[in-house]
Amino acid sequence: MSTIYILCVEDEPEVLDVVVRDLAALEDVFPIEMAVSAEEARQIIKEIEENGDKIGLAICDHVMPGDKGVELMIEMQNEPFTERTRKVLLTGQAGLDATIEAVNHARLNRYIAKPWDPENLMKVAIDELTTYVIEAEKNLLPFMSSLDARRLQEAIRARGSISDY
Amino acid sequence: MRKKEKRFPDWTKTVVGLCLGLIGFMIPLFVHFDGLSFAGHLTLGIFLVAASFWMLEPIPIYATSMLVIFLQIVLLSTQGPLFQDSSLPEFQLEAAAQEQVWQVPDSAVDGNQLWLRKGARSSEAIQIEVVESEAGFTFVRSGELSEGTAIVSDVNHKLVGYTPASYTLFLGTLASPIIILFLGGFMLAAAAVKYNLDKNLTNVLLKPFGQKPMFIILGLMLVTAVLSAFMSNTATTAMMMTVAIPIALQIDTKDKFRIILALSIPIAANLGGMATPIGTPPNAIVISALNQQGIQLAFGTWMLIATPLVIVMLLAAWGLMRFFYPPTVTSFKLQLDSAFEKSPKAIIMYAVFALTVLLWVTEAQHGIPSGMVAFLPIMALTVSSVLEKEDIRKLPWEVLWLVAGGISLGLSMENTGLAVWLVSSISWDVLPQIMLLLVFGFVALMLSNFLSNTVTATLLIPLAVSMGTSGIAGEGFSLVISAVLIGMACNMAMLLPISTPPNAIAMSTGYIKTADMVKIGGIIGIIGLFVALAYAVLFWPAVLL
Repeated sequence: MSTIYILCVEDEPEVLDVVVRDLAALEDVFPIEMAVSAEEARQIIKEIEENGDKIGLAICDHVMPGDKGVELMIEMQNEPFTERTRKVLLTGQAGLDATIEAVNHARLNRYIAKPWDPENLMKVAIDELTTYVIEAEKNLLPFMSSLDARRLQEAIRARGSISDY
Repeated sequence: MRKKEKRFPDWTKTVVGLCLGLIGFMIPLFVHFDGLSFAGHLTLGIFLVAASFWMLEPIPIYATSMLVIFLQIVLLSTQGPLFQDSSLPEFQLEAAAQEQVWQVPDSAVDGNQLWLRKGARSSEAIQIEVVESEAGFTFVRSGELSEGTAIVSDVNHKLVGYTPASYTLFLGTLASPIIILFLGGFMLAAAAVKYNLDKNLTNVLLKPFGQKPMFIILGLMLVTAVLSAFMSNTATTAMMMTVAIPIALQIDTKDKFRIILALSIPIAANLGGMATPIGTPPNAIVISALNQQGIQLAFGTWMLIATPLVIVMLLAAWGLMRFFYPPTVTSFKLQLDSAFEKSPKAIIMYAVFALTVLLWVTEAQHGIPSGMVAFLPIMALTVSSVLEKEDIRKLPWEVLWLVAGGISLGLSMENTGLAVWLVSSISWDVLPQIMLLLVFGFVALMLSNFLSNTVTATLLIPLAVSMGTSGIAGEGFSLVISAVLIGMACNMAMLLPISTPPNAIAMSTGYIKTADMVKIGGIIGIIGLFVALAYAVLFWPAVLL
C-alpha cells in the first residue's frame, strides 16, 4: 500500500516545528514532510509522486519569500497528482484578495488563522484526512484508529464495498 | 523521505498459490486413481485448483469461482471439446455360452462390475461374477443380461460413469433459486441503506433497552443480529459501529467496556447471519446442496432451526464478555433520534420489505418457494425506481458469482462421483453419527477461521452430503442435519480478525487487541459447535420431521 503524506509548508523553522509537534499523533499513519519554501515543496511533491505515494493533506503558510502559499496551492489544484489533496491555509497575513483567490482557484478546504489552537489544528487535520481517504482510498480499515472512525464506518456502510464472504 | 520497510514480498503468496493450484490441476491428469471416472479425475483437478486458489488467494475468491465455471464448461460439458463427439464403445452380447454365462471382451470388465450401455452417452453399472477368462475374452455370470444386450466394451472410456451435462447446467447456477433469493435480499438491503431504514430501525429498537450499559450492549447485540439476518453482516457491523463509536468516545480509554462494545457487534453480526437463509452466503451453499438431493428447506423452517441457536449464542456471548471484561462505566449518553423518511419511494420500500419478509417466513403456509418470492422485491424496487441503475451496479455481484461457482463445483463433484470417491476412502460407519458430525463440524470451524466461510462450506458440504447419499456413513444419517450443522459451524468461526469481515471492521477501531478476539471468539466457536450439536440431535429432528 502506498503511504499518504502530510505536507507542511512554512518559511519560519520554529513555526514549522510547532505545526509538526501539534500533528505528531498522526505521524505513525501519515508521515509529515516539511518544506520552508514553495520551491522546496515542489521538490518534495515530485519525490513523493515518483515513489508512488500520495499527499493527503497540505498545510501551507501564505507569506513566504519567493512564491506565495496561495500560488503553490493553485498549482497543486491544477496538477492531477495533488488535485485531491486537502488544502489548508495556515496564516496570519493573507489579505482578502489572496484568500478569495485561494478559495476560488485552489478549492481551499480550510482557513486557519495564526495563532492557532493546537486542538483545533488536530481536529481540522483529522477531518480533512478523513474526507481525503473516503474519496481516494478503497480500503478504509487501516485509518479507522487514527481518523474519524464514525465517518469511516458510515462510508463503509454507504459504499457497500466490503461484502460477506 | 521515509524509507520503505523491507517486508516479506507480497508476491510470494501469489506465486505459491498459483503453483500449488497448477500442480493440483495436473496431478489427476497424470495419476490414475482406481474407482474414479475420467470425469471424476477432471473434477478432482478443478477441485484442487479451486481449493488452492480459494485458500491462498493468489486471485480474488470470486475470480476463482469464475475460473471454476469456465473449466467446467470447457472440460465437463457435453458441448466441450472432450465430450462433444464421443460416444460409448458398444459390444452386443451373443447367445449365452451356458445358462446365464456370457462372453464379453476383457476390457469390458472392471473387477466384478460391467457397464450396460443405455445410450451413446449414458451407462449403468451392474454386478457380475467372473467365471473364467481366456484369449482376450471373459466369461461372466449375471441374471441381468440377455442376448443382444448392449454393454460398454471399454471400461476405461471417458464416458463410463459420467453422463456429461449441458454447459447450460453450469451457467444456470447463476440464476438458480438460491442466487435469486440472495439477489432479492441484496436489493432489499440496498434499498434499506439508501433510505436509512437500517439506522432508524436501530434507533427505535434500541430505545427499550434503557440506560444501563450492559443492557444497552444486549440491545446492540440483538438489533445487530436481527439486521444481519436480512442484511449483509458486514454492512450491519459498519452501521452499528456508527452507533457504538460515539459511546466509546465518552468512555475512559482504560475502561474494559470499550472492549465489550467493539466485540459485541461483530459477534452478534456473525451469529445473526445464521438466522435466515439469506443471512450469509454459506447458508446458500447448504440450501443448494440439499436442493440437489431433492430436499427443499423452507425459509421459515430454516429460521425455526436456527433462531433458537442464535438467541442462545447471543446470550452466551453477552455473559462471557460480562465475565471477562467487567465494565466500570455506569452511564453515558446515547443519542437515539429516528427520522423515518416519508417520501413515496421510501414508503413503497417499507411496504415491499415488510411484504417480502412476511411471505418468506410463511413459506410453509402458502407454499410459494422463497426463491420465487425474492423476485417480488427485485421487481417492485426497480419498477418503482426505489433502486436506480447506479444502485443496482453497486450490489455485491461478486458474492453471487462466488456462491454460483461453489454450487457449480458441487454439481460436478456429485455427478462425476468425485465426492463419494473422496469420502469412501475412510470407513466412517465405525464412528457414531454424533462423533461424525462433531469431527466434520470441528474441521469446518477450524478451516473457516482462516478461510472465507463460504469457501469452507463449498469445500466441505458436498463431501458431507455424499456421505449421506452413498450410505458410507451408515444408517440414519440425516442429510439436512449434517449439512445445516456444517453450515452453522462455518458461520461460528470468529477467532481472528481475518475470520470474517465484521471481525476485521471491529479490529480496525483499535479498541480491542487480537488476544481479546481470540479469547472470546474461540470460546464462542467451541461452545457454539457443541450447542449446535445438541440442537441437531435433540431439537432439529422434531422440527424437520
